[in-house]
Amino acid sequence: MWTAAFWLSPGKTQGVDLPKSSAILLLQAYRPMWVSLRAFAGFFLLWWLLYLWNGNPLQLPSPVKVFEALWKLLREGEIAEHASVSTLRMLTALCLAIAVAVPLGFLMGLSRQAQQFIEPLVEILRPISGIAWLPLALFIFGVGDTLPVFIMFYVGFFPILLNTMAGVKQTDSRLLAAARTMGVRPLPLLLYVLVPSALPTIMVGIRLAFAASWAAIVAAELIGAPSGLGFAIEWYRQLLMTPKVFAFILAIGVVGYLCDVGLRALQKRLTPWAEGSGVAS
Amino acid sequence: MSTHADATKLRLTGVTKSFFTPRTGTTTLAVAEMSLDIQGGEFICIVGPSGCGKSTVLNMIAGLDSPSSGRIEKDGQGITGPGADRGVMFQDYALMPWQSVEGNVGFGLRHGTPGQHLNASQRQERIAHYIDLVGLRGSEHKYPHQLSGGMRQRVALARLLANGPDILLLDEPLGALDAQTRLILQAELLRIWGETAPVSERKTAIFITHDIEEAVLLADRVVVMSTNPGRVREVVTVDLPRPRAGTARTNPKFGLFVEHIWSLIRDEAYRAIGGAASADPASHQATH
Amino acid sequence: MKNTGNESSTFIIVRNLTLPVLLIVLWQLWALALPTGSPAPTPIKVVQTLGELLSKGDLVSATVQSLGRVLTGFSVASMLGIVLGLIMGSSQAVRENLDPIIESFRPIAPMAILPIAILLLGTGTPTALAIVAYASFFPVVVNTVHGVSHVDRKLILAARTMGISRLSILTRVVLPGALPSILLGTRLAMGVAWTAIIAAELAVGAKSGGGGSGGIGQMMFVFYAYNIDLNAIVVCMTVVGLVALCIDQIFRMLEKRLTPWRQES
Repeated sequence: MWTAAFWLSPGKTQGVDLPKSSAILLLQAYRPMWVSLRAFAGFFLLWWLLYLWNGNPLQLPSPVKVFEALWKLLREGEIAEHASVSTLRMLTALCLAIAVAVPLGFLMGLSRQAQQFIEPLVEILRPISGIAWLPLALFIFGVGDTLPVFIMFYVGFFPILLNTMAGVKQTDSRLLAAARTMGVRPLPLLLYVLVPSALPTIMVGIRLAFAASWAAIVAAELIGAPSGLGFAIEWYRQLLMTPKVFAFILAIGVVGYLCDVGLRALQKRLTPWAEGSGVAS
Repeated sequence: MSTHADATKLRLTGVTKSFFTPRTGTTTLAVAEMSLDIQGGEFICIVGPSGCGKSTVLNMIAGLDSPSSGRIEKDGQGITGPGADRGVMFQDYALMPWQSVEGNVGFGLRHGTPGQHLNASQRQERIAHYIDLVGLRGSEHKYPHQLSGGMRQRVALARLLANGPDILLLDEPLGALDAQTRLILQAELLRIWGETAPVSERKTAIFITHDIEEAVLLADRVVVMSTNPGRVREVVTVDLPRPRAGTARTNPKFGLFVEHIWSLIRDEAYRAIGGAASADPASHQATH
Repeated sequence: MKNTGNESSTFIIVRNLTLPVLLIVLWQLWALALPTGSPAPTPIKVVQTLGELLSKGDLVSATVQSLGRVLTGFSVASMLGIVLGLIMGSSQAVRENLDPIIESFRPIAPMAILPIAILLLGTGTPTALAIVAYASFFPVVVNTVHGVSHVDRKLILAARTMGISRLSILTRVVLPGALPSILLGTRLAMGVAWTAIIAAELAVGAKSGGGGSGGIGQMMFVFYAYNIDLNAIVVCMTVVGLVALCIDQIFRMLEKRLTPWRQES
């Protein structure tokens, strides 16, 4: 089962047919969960072994200690405090990015002239990653709330803009033609055909923007903010309280994952007719 | 035949359409000097080999495109753009994927001109009526991606009719369906169009198809086009009795009509698929 | 940029430059209105600084250093990622078991790993390499798995009916089939790696008091905190952008060369 690469025996189906007792059925029903649990158990075991081999708890703490620290931080509310600060900044930045990028994306998608005029500037700014803006932004905004929000806005702006533009341009011209043959005027055409049609792609852009922003927030807060999850990691590193460092890193992962789940649910709710998106990166 | 002074519903006079490709600097003549008179209540089919400009002509009648020269008049007035009076049914249905069946059928009524003078409950009634007419009652809340090809086409038809156009323009609407579904929908189309009703109560229909048998089955007259450039080769009057749904195919004249039309376009069809016309043994026989 | 066929190329170039040039001009005008001695960057001074840094050789050496690190980290991560991706893509069992772990690490940004890396490896090149490798790894693995697992099964069946050996199927059907995705993964990984190295060098520069890690990210930090020179920062930012652009273009060309059968999506 473990080594059955699909190209070795393409005709055979995976897995073996066992006689189905009730225990087996239970196992099969919750299979993904069991597999995940087993994978994580293996991972933590490996970690623990590495910890023993490394021998320096300041460098690599035992998983047990990390979970203790995590539990303590959760109980004391410190994780919630930093997490809410970071999440709030991220939401602010994302909303700002949507507010600017979506209308601009519609403009560029609808008007060839606008696209030809504005696109060069976009293409020049895009390769300059948000991180590269950190020193300059630090100088302008100083350490504080604005800095992370600015960096995240910048990082999230481009995926949303490009996806909105693509979504608008990909609108099936047949749908527009059909609507016109029903006497639909330009404004309803925009609202009731273009917007719904572009929405799935825009949602993908928003999810990409979130992922990029969430990665950028760590860097921004690590260097330039007095609070937040990124700040917390660095703070505890300097205090050499390594278990807490790990705990906050875990928190970053969990919050990021939860937000993505939330966005995916929103995507499903707003655009139920669209099939799943392709592979992200 | 009406004795009305000018019962011509749609008139094309010397219509031509040419396309200019900026990249190569060439002008292609898609449709050349097409003239046609269509009476109210007629069912017209347009057949021809690929690239003969059938869809171009339909688009011009629909107002989605305009002729390079010549005039198209409906009820004596020139056509200036698309409108709900000339409803279109597209080959790939053009249903809004984000609307349910009910939303799609009612789209024109809610956001376009057809439903402007109706109140909400009148619209609801109208929508329900046409959904029922095409046999989709019970599926109002399904989305296009949950429907089969045949069902989607019926939604498109219901939408077309709900908008109350007086000319129906159908661009190969049954082309994407499998053969059996097509047979079913052909019969449905004839029924809904009103095959058994008097001429004055029928809508005018212009139907484009590749399928010659389909054209002979449905049409009062078949416009046979040739390609390069597109022009009318011949207009064949199909005088088979109506209703045709169950009876036309067994009528011996049916096969004669089909063969006659095929003989007009056979050579060009061969050329279109890159073969030589003389390869077909049947072309050596005179059929008309 | 888009060309409808009846516009001259000069017109297109002028149009492309209009907005950027306009902004630069406005920037310069704004700068002129500032009091003398203000540290704000101006276009003219930026160009001057560019000249200085180039002639001193600092800019080039820093860029080369950063690029070297990126390439090293990227290469290691790619090799690991492709191999692991091949295994995971081929066997659903392996994929099921490793996927939860890999997916869990995805929301954890490379920069979040930085403190751990510093604890384990100090504040020098090894840390930067570790961050780059971590960042490059995921796009490569994810895309390789996608590419391998999506190889059309019918192609493999067809190959088997032609009597092709198992090993050849791997090298002649699976790998070429997965190649477009793999190359996409490497292109994305390079992009992420470049961003990661800048971030890592910036942060490490901040933590180590401006000493010894080198690279263009660290240079930017020095110009922020020690030899405060905003014009130099802007120069560095431009270089970062230009290099990112070049990397992307090179990888796109590679994609086209190596997979000419791919249709544009």
